[in-house]
Amino acid sequence: MKQIGKILATEKVPTTIDEFFFWTDKELILKPFDVVRVTHIKESVTFGVVEEISHLTDNTSFLAGYISSDFGDVSAQAYTQRIGMNYVKAKVVANSRDIYTPVLDGMPVSLADEDDVKKALGLKDIKNPLPCGYIEMYEAPDNITIPVNFNSHFLIGPEGAHLNISGISGLASKTSYAMFLLKAIQDQYLKESQKESVAFVFLNVKGRDLLAIDEDFEAFTKDEQEEYQHSIDTHKMLGITPTPFKNVKYFYPYSKDVYSSTYGKDVKNQMTQGKAEQYKYIFEDDKESLDLLFSNIDDPNQTMESIVNVIATGQGKFADITTWTDLLSEIKEHTTAGNTKDKEITVLSWRKFFRLFRKTIEKTTIFQNSYKKENKETRLQEAIKNIRKNDAFVIDIAKLDEETQGFVFGDVMRAIYDLKLGQIDDREESDIPSKIIIFIDELNKYGSKDVPKNSPILRQLLDITERGRSLGIILFAAEQFKSDIHDRVKGNCATHAYGRTNAIEVSKSDYQFVPLVYKSMLTRLKQGEYILQNPIFRSLLNIKFPKPLYKQFKNG
Amino acid sequence: MDKILPLLESETEKTCYKSLRYCADEELRLPTLSYDETQAFTVVKDKHGETDTTLKTTKPISTIAKTIINDEPLFRYFLDGSRRTYKIDDIEINRRIYPIMAGQIGVACCERKTASQFKCAELENNLVLALPTASSPDFKNSEQFFNSLTNKINQLKRVENASVQFSKILTYSSAVQEDNNKYEQLGIATIQDEMVECEKKIVSYLHKKSLLSQSGYLIKDGSLQYTNSPKSGDYKELTKYRNHYRCVIGVSKLFNPELCKDKSGKSNADKIAQLLLYHRTPVFMYQSERVGNTNFAIWYVRIRDRKHTESPFAGVLKLEKILITDDENENGLDSAEVDLITANIINERNPVCYGKDSRWANHLYPVYLTESFIKSKYLSDIHFLNLF
Repeated sequence: MKQIGKILATEKVPTTIDEFFFWTDKELILKPFDVVRVTHIKESVTFGVVEEISHLTDNTSFLAGYISSDFGDVSAQAYTQRIGMNYVKAKVVANSRDIYTPVLDGMPVSLADEDDVKKALGLKDIKNPLPCGYIEMYEAPDNITIPVNFNSHFLIGPEGAHLNISGISGLASKTSYAMFLLKAIQDQYLKESQKESVAFVFLNVKGRDLLAIDEDFEAFTKDEQEEYQHSIDTHKMLGITPTPFKNVKYFYPYSKDVYSSTYGKDVKNQMTQGKAEQYKYIFEDDKESLDLLFSNIDDPNQTMESIVNVIATGQGKFADITTWTDLLSEIKEHTTAGNTKDKEITVLSWRKFFRLFRKTIEKTTIFQNSYKKENKETRLQEAIKNIRKNDAFVIDIAKLDEETQGFVFGDVMRAIYDLKLGQIDDREESDIPSKIIIFIDELNKYGSKDVPKNSPILRQLLDITERGRSLGIILFAAEQFKSDIHDRVKGNCATHAYGRTNAIEVSKSDYQFVPLVYKSMLTRLKQGEYILQNPIFRSLLNIKFPKPLYKQFKNG
Repeated sequence: MDKILPLLESETEKTCYKSLRYCADEELRLPTLSYDETQAFTVVKDKHGETDTTLKTTKPISTIAKTIINDEPLFRYFLDGSRRTYKIDDIEINRRIYPIMAGQIGVACCERKTASQFKCAELENNLVLALPTASSPDFKNSEQFFNSLTNKINQLKRVENASVQFSKILTYSSAVQEDNNKYEQLGIATIQDEMVECEKKIVSYLHKKSLLSQSGYLIKDGSLQYTNSPKSGDYKELTKYRNHYRCVIGVSKLFNPELCKDKSGKSNADKIAQLLLYHRTPVFMYQSERVGNTNFAIWYVRIRDRKHTESPFAGVLKLEKILITDDENENGLDSAEVDLITANIINERNPVCYGKDSRWANHLYPVYLTESFIKSKYLSDIHFLNLF
């Protein structure tokens, strides 16, 4: 072990059960999150994680520095550099013999080897390992790379579930990290015959991000080829098959001209290959989901909800309606004064409902009167109710307007919930995947603190985060600012991945537990770097992960 | 019995008074000033201390200093000695009361390998006791007695547990002094002498290892004129002494301006006070009474502007070099060499220990570091006093 310094314990800064300080050479390069080992009593070893590094000289004041340059002569040179050292604050994470008395002054501090790091961070002998990235520690020639595994029971249940990824757009690569983890999960379940099974539902919310996840990465330039090769090597190092996703099925919003409702450019080809369908909403089958269209509308008196209820339960003339067009005319009827016998819902409320409903239904083409399977058309509810083990469904909602996006997302969640709750009659229990993982980016649209409390989508989200673990519905969600997200949604996530964010965000209370240096690190993280928090890790981990191996589009 | 004092009582067959123990140093600094004050040396009249005999006033060295700033510095080693003395107790010998003194002596030589690499090259760290000569019950074999007492002290549990060792028991004269306090001064002086011995030992070691050279000089903090230097007549010792100090410059932070004399023996304290920044005085040749038949070249240089310092003498350093060769003794030091040494001293002016040491204007940072290193090696006062 390379010794790098010794423990410092002074009157004012003693070592404690939780932390210690040590000095090192001022030119030694250490980083926050590096692990160090300290020789402790009874032949034990205490491990610490570097939190802060400070440089210190015997300069008593700034003035002494000024005087040392010939009273402010910037060109002044000196034969001797002022004596200085670095001192490092480290957090105690483990002791080899579970002795947690403070480490003693003058004890040697050294770099750790791979085995030590694993022991220190709780990465050794992890049950149900699932790759989640790798950590790189120290500078060459002492650098080490250690693959990091989650205990999958703490990521996708049953011990803990749900993942929340936060970070600013682009720089944090939230989608890439989620897809890396999802790929690792699919790979593992495809490789091993496990008791449990898994299926995936991804919502494509922007551009063409997830519209070719089963196709190979296309590397044109030399840099891209190198990057691709590096990614393949890293996948192999982590024990993940370096291939794109398998068993992928794409669902595009229906429109006569396929391309007017999606950013995808290869839809027809995908449809010919039998891996893509267009989804539609048919009034008779989907009228129960109508409430989801109004999830972002403030409805303090629940009049909207009442109207939806009237329609969904087919009260009055609504019983005979079979198409969206009829529905629209019927609602219009209600907006005329004196035309309604309903005393509970005012004409004004009907008018509001009509206005909002018409706006949405006229803007999108997914609300149709019928669908034909032969034409590669489907209903999402139906598709999801037939999801098989290891299937990965990509539902494209990128080009839909915001209300419709919410509607589709809510509907998908509802369908999965129904499937897992055994509401589907024609499927054997054992045939249904035991876990269904939903991935949604821009969670803030549906689960933010500002979403009306009675929003059906928020209710659905809360249902999943609070009860999904036991049902086998796992939510992988991403958003730019974690602080915006509803406390109960993020609070129920067992795993949190923090990507690069900004200084305003880290000053919020969500980051209160993060040490100051890590906070500023969060604002400087590179693409492909995350800080992970998971119940099995003894401290936060700074991990890296390889780029996805599926086809990505440069211009979104 | 695991403490030192009861052992002393029983071994010396005397009584200790259990009086207050305290650190006897007024201030933890080298007593350069007090020693220089009593220093008696005379100017070698009618002889120049350097080859350039035309230099009457002062000489600016800043240009040379600037020219060589990017070269390898001349000084590579830095030597400093320090001691901390304590009055431990009073002991009664033949109805007289003598103080029992103890001290921690630290002498270190640090090496500057590069601008950022400053490491200890040699360290002497000794614990000593100073007793009156009369404390030995056996008049004839007192040396043997003190040696055996040292061994016994080192075998005490308390001393062993503290992982320390006393290197020596020193003695001071128990002849009648006018004032009781003087005994304390005598005790301190013996400890000081022991420190000087340690310094000499280290210089001798550096010389033996051929570490000192024309490109690797040593700066010794304080004067080179030791009280117990070889006397005239002891040629072997004198030659050794001169050889060891061939590449050594003594740099005194504190000097008694009253003793600054020019070639004619007149005080030139005013000229030194008015010395301009980065100027040096001419070199004067001195002969010390302490060191027999040895000539010293002494000159002064100002390294800090007077307007920035507290007193006119702050910022002025006294530099000493022993004249070795016959030519040097006859004609003085080569002026070019004096300029080079002075320029190097000027270039050592930064950084400063401003805020840490009130003598910052006269301190050279590597010397200050060496001093700090020695002090860091001391046992704490409480720890040390509780050994007794």
